[in-house]
Amino acid sequence: MIEYNQLDQGELPVDAELGVKVIGVGGAGANVLDRMALEGSDEAELLTLNTDVRALSTSVSSNKIQLGSTLLKGMGTGGDPSLGKQAALEAVDEIRAAVRDKGIIFICVGLGGGTGSGAAPEVCRIAKEEGVFLVVFATMPFSFEGARRTEQAREALESIGKYANAVIAFDNDRMGELIVPKDGVTQAFAAADKVISQSIRATMNVVFRPGIIRIGMDDLLSALDSKDSRCLFGYGLAKGDNRSHEAVEQALKCPLLDKGRLLNDASAVLVQVAGGDTMTLYEVQLVMEEVNKHVGDGTQILFGTGTDKRLGNSLSVTIISSINGPEGSQATGSDPDTEDEASISLGGSPASSPFTAEEDEVVFEEEADDGVAESLLPTLDQSVEKEQADFVEDASEEGGSVFEVESADDDGEDHEDEVENSDGSDLEISSEDTAEDTADETAEDTTGDTAEDGEEFPSLAGLGITEEVDKEDERNPIARAVEDAGDDLTPFDSVSGPDDDGGVDRVEAVTDAEQKITLTRMASDSDDGRSKSRLPEDFGSNALDSEVRFDDATGDDLPEEGETSEEAKQQQEMLQLEPISGKGRFAKTDPTIVDGEDLDVPTFLRKK
Amino acid sequence: MAVSNIYVGLEIGTSKVCIIVGEVRGDGAIKILGVGQHPSAGVRKGEIVDPETVQTCLHDALARAEERSDVEVNTVFLAVTGSHIQSMNNRGTIRVSDDQMEISGEDLEEVKKIARDVPVPKENGYIHSIIQHYYVDGQEKVLNPLGMLGQKLEADYHIINGVKTRIQNSIKCVREVPIEVEDIVFAPVAAAQVVLNREAKNEGALLIDVGGGTTDYICFVDGAVVASGCVPIGGDHITNDIALVLKIPLARAEKLKVNHGSASLKNTRNIEIAIGGESGKTVEQELLNQIMNARAIELLSVVAEPLQKQGLLAKLGKGIFLTGGSSLMTGIGDVAEDIFGIPVQKAGSTAMSGPSALFENPQYATPVGLIRYAQLLDDQRPKKSALSKLGKSFEKIFGGGR
Repeated sequence: MIEYNQLDQGELPVDAELGVKVIGVGGAGANVLDRMALEGSDEAELLTLNTDVRALSTSVSSNKIQLGSTLLKGMGTGGDPSLGKQAALEAVDEIRAAVRDKGIIFICVGLGGGTGSGAAPEVCRIAKEEGVFLVVFATMPFSFEGARRTEQAREALESIGKYANAVIAFDNDRMGELIVPKDGVTQAFAAADKVISQSIRATMNVVFRPGIIRIGMDDLLSALDSKDSRCLFGYGLAKGDNRSHEAVEQALKCPLLDKGRLLNDASAVLVQVAGGDTMTLYEVQLVMEEVNKHVGDGTQILFGTGTDKRLGNSLSVTIISSINGPEGSQATGSDPDTEDEASISLGGSPASSPFTAEEDEVVFEEEADDGVAESLLPTLDQSVEKEQADFVEDASEEGGSVFEVESADDDGEDHEDEVENSDGSDLEISSEDTAEDTADETAEDTTGDTAEDGEEFPSLAGLGITEEVDKEDERNPIARAVEDAGDDLTPFDSVSGPDDDGGVDRVEAVTDAEQKITLTRMASDSDDGRSKSRLPEDFGSNALDSEVRFDDATGDDLPEEGETSEEAKQQQEMLQLEPISGKGRFAKTDPTIVDGEDLDVPTFLRKK
Repeated sequence: MAVSNIYVGLEIGTSKVCIIVGEVRGDGAIKILGVGQHPSAGVRKGEIVDPETVQTCLHDALARAEERSDVEVNTVFLAVTGSHIQSMNNRGTIRVSDDQMEISGEDLEEVKKIARDVPVPKENGYIHSIIQHYYVDGQEKVLNPLGMLGQKLEADYHIINGVKTRIQNSIKCVREVPIEVEDIVFAPVAAAQVVLNREAKNEGALLIDVGGGTTDYICFVDGAVVASGCVPIGGDHITNDIALVLKIPLARAEKLKVNHGSASLKNTRNIEIAIGGESGKTVEQELLNQIMNARAIELLSVVAEPLQKQGLLAKLGKGIFLTGGSSLMTGIGDVAEDIFGIPVQKAGSTAMSGPSALFENPQYATPVGLIRYAQLLDDQRPKKSALSKLGKSFEKIFGGGR
């Protein structure tokens, strides 16, 4: 007769083969660890790593390693992650020995400070090198801790993300959701620690708990397997009559899950329902139905149940999932202000925006139009904006040269200065100056020409510029234009660039038209008669006269935004008399001069 | 002997970074094991302007190449180009020592040194010194004077040099990957190895490699390199022209160029082409072609001018070979024929084994050529086995030199 040992299904000989270790790095990590120890952690070994020797001594875990003993001499890092990193490197051998031969390691760390942000990535790296399955629970600093800490935390999170199999980040800002507002600060932090330690235990339980339908490490891996390993986690525990409902509700309410909304995006969700002997199939069904409501159609659900006598009469629901980092953050990237989205509590959104920015940079050369449109988002790096601004600026020099033609023989020096500026923002300012300068000059003209206003208008329409002037607005429209343009992002919004999507188009067109009209007005002011004769044939001097006087009459009235877009653009194309000096792609390279010609300028235009 | 060697060629071009791993068998046949390429982002007109971006592209291309070919790449032959590269011909003369009268290897080295002694700007360093012909006592076009008797040895060399720092920048970029650079090669020299066969080189041929950022050329007459150079105008300029004139984004301009445009004005249909995107703009085929034509004419004229002045165009028996990514442009062959007045053919590398897409595609002429060049270089070096190296060091220690 063949005898075999009927191990309780799913029970893995935990201590022997797949050691589980929980490592707390830094002050915050140590706190979480202490809470875990308080609640009794039977299966896992605990280890605390810290630079500050006092904090280390008060930690209750059984194993401790002091980082950077010679470097920092038992003191903390003072919030400097580079010191934390060096400290970790000092103790690298001890750390390596500690992580070796473990099956799964959980690292708890509070990011933003010195030890946590500096040492944790190193520990992760070492652990990865030893080949362990690594799950990191990280807390991101409060926003009131300042931008620098947030930045350090973000960087650390990114580095950790490179090594860890899974990263679960928790935004301290969301701590407010865990507790009743009138609770004390200690309680708030305690609650946060609790959530994290619960998450760790639940994850461990998911894998190690005996179950009827088992979930193994492989399922955990596939649930957590996404490009960016940003995790969602929910845990609920309830007893009583309605315990299945309550447990599921608790789990979905978990801040790390953002109220179940994010489950929709997940590719795989792992759900474990566990209870004591009294758990019924019906309850399990209830739980799963509830969960199903929140996940998307394409989501794979990995389902497991387990019995754990320790749970007694309670029912626990654990939901673990992950979503792809970049998508998650692009959804949030455009709206960093919306608190809910930004703090998916993945800490992923800020960390990922450099990613999206990079994408834009690399892709920039290929898709300039998309790049420009996207860059209207305030979250992107300044460098990306600048690059595009340069590119667009150069393309806009065509705008500048148009005006050179019209004002060729201008005496007005301010005017010529304006014209040379291809930068839209400068143009605004100088036009404002000149407006003021010549306001006095035109004052007399203005009054006299009011009557002609009505007549001139139709001829302008004939030109194709349908300008509906807001006659009611007698304020200095130049100032208004400056304001309006100023509201949008400078500098490239106010500059004409390649034919873009709607929004950018409008603003460009406005400024072009504004500039044109302002400057032609200037032309006539300073040079009665002269500039008119030099005007391009297309315009016809009469038309210009009317345009000019129209301006004077209405006292610097400028067209409403948007109506002039198409016509103005066409006008501009017609007025291409000078070779374009923009260089597009070769803006920042050495010009190629052959026989005195710059070969980077399109041949087609040079040889015209 | 079936000893096969694996060489890796790397070209950091303006439109793509390309690494090709090839194996050369004893009989000289090349087999391409794998290609890794990545669109290039930090290179303009053939020169690196953003080393970091280039690094990223390099890493990517390298990873792909290693994966496809299953070879770990440690050293590469690097193709360089750029407008800073100049080339000239120079002759060196020495008198063979009277008692000997036999031309030795050292004499050859000596004459090479003298020939190379061309005044170059001090920031320049040598890239290639390619022997053209030897003359022994007035006897012309001697191929290999080693061992011949004579009193006066002259040699014509084609010297290619370029700004040291710019080349070192490229090398540095590659070293940081990290890969070692075994040798640098002027791009058209490499391409010529696989595009022009011996017959073409002997009868006279001009190879024009129209790439993304530069157009490189090399001219062979009577089997020797007589001219080479780099014009910093390429396919990018054409795209840029289209983009600036029509005021559309570069990506659309590129699509127009590739899908609809023709460099030649022949057979221009009277149609309008949609530019795409929300603007709904269209451009006339004629205008598009005119833009491309103007640039193509200018580009080829710039290449043709110095060659015309040196009277080389008359000596090209096999005509002109167009290669490089931009040679795929419709109509460029016609334009070239108009300008040069000589038959033009578009060519990729000569057939070899491996994916045919590679050697037939003119975009890969240069990196594939690097492999052939690497092989030739190795053939020229005396095979150093361990024993012979030992022998040489003994020689040095115990004298015995003449």
